[in-house]
Amino acid sequence: MRTTIKNGIRFGAIISVVIIFFHLTGFSVVAANMIGGLFGNVDKNTALAQLPTINLAIVISLIGLIAGGSASKNTKTDSWTNAIVSGTVAGAFSGLFVAVFVYLIGIANFLEVDLRSYLPEIGPDNIDYLLFGGKASANFLYLGLLTISGLAGAAFSKGIIRANWRKQVQADSVQSFNAFIQKPGIQKVFNNKIVVYAFLAAAAFLLYFLPTKWGPYWNFIMGTVGIYILLGLGLNIIVGLSGQLVLGYVAFFAIGAYTFGLLTAPEPHAIGMNFWLAIVFAILAAALTGVLLGLPILNLRGDYLAIVTLGFGEIIRILIKSDMLTDFTNGPSGLSDLVQPKWLGKTFNDVNYFHLTVIFVIIAIFIANRLQYSRTGRAWLAISADQTVARATGINTFKYNLLALALGAAFAGLGGALFASRNQFTGPEDHILMVSINVLCLVIVGGMGSLPGVVVGAFVLKGVPELLRDLENYRLLAFGALLVMMMVMRPEGLWPKGRPEMETLYYRKHPKDSPPDGEVQS
Amino acid sequence: MTEIVIQTHKLSKIFGGLTAVDKVDLTVPEKAIASIIGPNGAGKTTLFNCVSGFYAPEEGDVLFYGKPIQGQATDRICSLGISRTYQNIRLFSQMTAVENILVGQHPRLKGTWWEAVLHNPRYMQEEEKAVGEALHLLEFVGLDGLGDHLARNLPYGAQRRLEIARALANHPKLLMLDEPTAGMNSQETADMTAFIKSLRDNLGITILLIEHDMKVVMDISDQITVLDYGTKIAEGLPKEIQTNQQVIEAYLGPGAAALSKKFQRKKTHDA
Repeated sequence: MRTTIKNGIRFGAIISVVIIFFHLTGFSVVAANMIGGLFGNVDKNTALAQLPTINLAIVISLIGLIAGGSASKNTKTDSWTNAIVSGTVAGAFSGLFVAVFVYLIGIANFLEVDLRSYLPEIGPDNIDYLLFGGKASANFLYLGLLTISGLAGAAFSKGIIRANWRKQVQADSVQSFNAFIQKPGIQKVFNNKIVVYAFLAAAAFLLYFLPTKWGPYWNFIMGTVGIYILLGLGLNIIVGLSGQLVLGYVAFFAIGAYTFGLLTAPEPHAIGMNFWLAIVFAILAAALTGVLLGLPILNLRGDYLAIVTLGFGEIIRILIKSDMLTDFTNGPSGLSDLVQPKWLGKTFNDVNYFHLTVIFVIIAIFIANRLQYSRTGRAWLAISADQTVARATGINTFKYNLLALALGAAFAGLGGALFASRNQFTGPEDHILMVSINVLCLVIVGGMGSLPGVVVGAFVLKGVPELLRDLENYRLLAFGALLVMMMVMRPEGLWPKGRPEMETLYYRKHPKDSPPDGEVQS
Repeated sequence: MTEIVIQTHKLSKIFGGLTAVDKVDLTVPEKAIASIIGPNGAGKTTLFNCVSGFYAPEEGDVLFYGKPIQGQATDRICSLGISRTYQNIRLFSQMTAVENILVGQHPRLKGTWWEAVLHNPRYMQEEEKAVGEALHLLEFVGLDGLGDHLARNLPYGAQRRLEIARALANHPKLLMLDEPTAGMNSQETADMTAFIKSLRDNLGITILLIEHDMKVVMDISDQITVLDYGTKIAEGLPKEIQTNQQVIEAYLGPGAAALSKKFQRKKTHDA
């Protein structure tokens, strides 16, 4: 019983910190607004004073439910008493803390201390709302709400989510689904080429027509996702396959974008090169940079390599921005009016751009996929597992590391050129360290060394923040929390890499004990 | 006359002030199973590392079929036809067993990255053949059916065999095994001993091994070299080594030789 109560107190403390944090940053009010949007009792013009306090109560209760549920889930023995006690204690304890907190801000408000000089989000109006409309009994309300919702959460978690009957239902449904999938008829459908082609045709149809329907905004967002897939595929070769932790990946992106920009922009050189040719040059320039960077540093490994490449990324950006090269790169103002591709005399619009990005992404996935399962890919994986042994197995590690860097850089060069051309602009601020971090994040979130992982990761990292637009300023906060949760729940990534089943495939193709010709198989 | 596969001449390796290998001469003829034994810290693995290129010796030569190879990079030495295994198993753990063997074939394959992207017929043929050969090797080491498992998920004995299969994939002329039976029970050890013998008998590979299990050493070796404190103290047939005074003293301490003689006399007397 003591450990159960301790466990409840621990969760209560954590949850109270979360609630206080939400109050201080003003997230509670935003959440109440969102709840209002869901129920329809709030519209865009509703002032804070008119915001129904029931919404805040719902937000607090939801947090309490989570607190009770997770507290009851973490009890040592799986009994009803433990679950209920632990959940209730968690609720009550967090209620106690929060009650003290709202009491304090209530007093501050009463004494007309302006807390906004410390935290801009808790002005008098906000505090009034957080006190359920300035009620003196608000702290008891918090205590009561959280205790009850904690109890309810614990009961819900124990009685429904973790109940045996539900687990049974889940297991049964998974089993019957697997049995269904494994039926010969179903397998035949899956393995049928026509069905596969039909799926591909449907996907192609969607990719072709969706952009014409969903408008320029989504074309822009999805185009960015596409460019990040390109970057992710490149970095996946460097980090995921060959195992070199390169943190200055943005440098190759910048080289691609600037090569493209300098070759096509009217300022400062007025070369006016054709789009397609400029793309090729951008890719080559990035790959060359990869080789040049690789030559001196590839004897470094791990942390040292990370630091050196981190510096390299910043050097490129600062060089672009520097006074010394202003005549050559246009300095901080960047390059504008970059050329756009033309096809049959027609300049590309946003839909065409999206299509172009998709085509490049498909080509890149095709190349990356074939590389991954080749002799080269195996050499990379071997190097990432154990460089010393890989070398002693006859792999020229230097050559393969360099190759990985060059190919990975080439993908980034393509991404950079596409990015610059689409925006018709590129400046030093497009190539900050954050790009490297984002790309590395998407590779890790998706699953190191996994191609579908890169695609999923790019959608999660660049697409989901757009879906969270409703959260306004708290977008990145929520997004960060989401990332943490994802990594806790799926540490291998969302779609971890698998290795090819070569033995099975080979013997399927060349049956081992195939009877001699002419004999009939019984 | 049989050819000499590996020959070291006055080979020395010095770490700081410690001479780990001190002017060691070693000669291994073709199709021999040569063992290196010695107490812990005698410099056996250092000698191995000098031969396989992990260390560059300070002094002396390593000749492979008469050509000096000392100080060359490990990948170069491997592609000449010297493969090795490791004392603590070092497989590519996140790759499958078949892939591990395919990596072992690396120096013999020619496929480049652009061929891999294009999938031209030559490349496809080479890959197909390579996989077939890898599976053949897998069967040879008795791991057929386990090819699609990740190397790290294989049982210990299977990992040792897989490491040997990876080393064999290179079609080596010389196979160096560093304690192939370490951590095995007596049945597994017997299997491994038979397996090593079959490598020499069936594939004609010259084998150089480090081993602590005296039963294995005496059983399969054609020649034994004994190291102690980096120097070679004895060399010869298993029988000669068994009765060598210096060897017994190196293992059991000074004075042990006399004792052992006494026991031996008693033993023969009893018999």
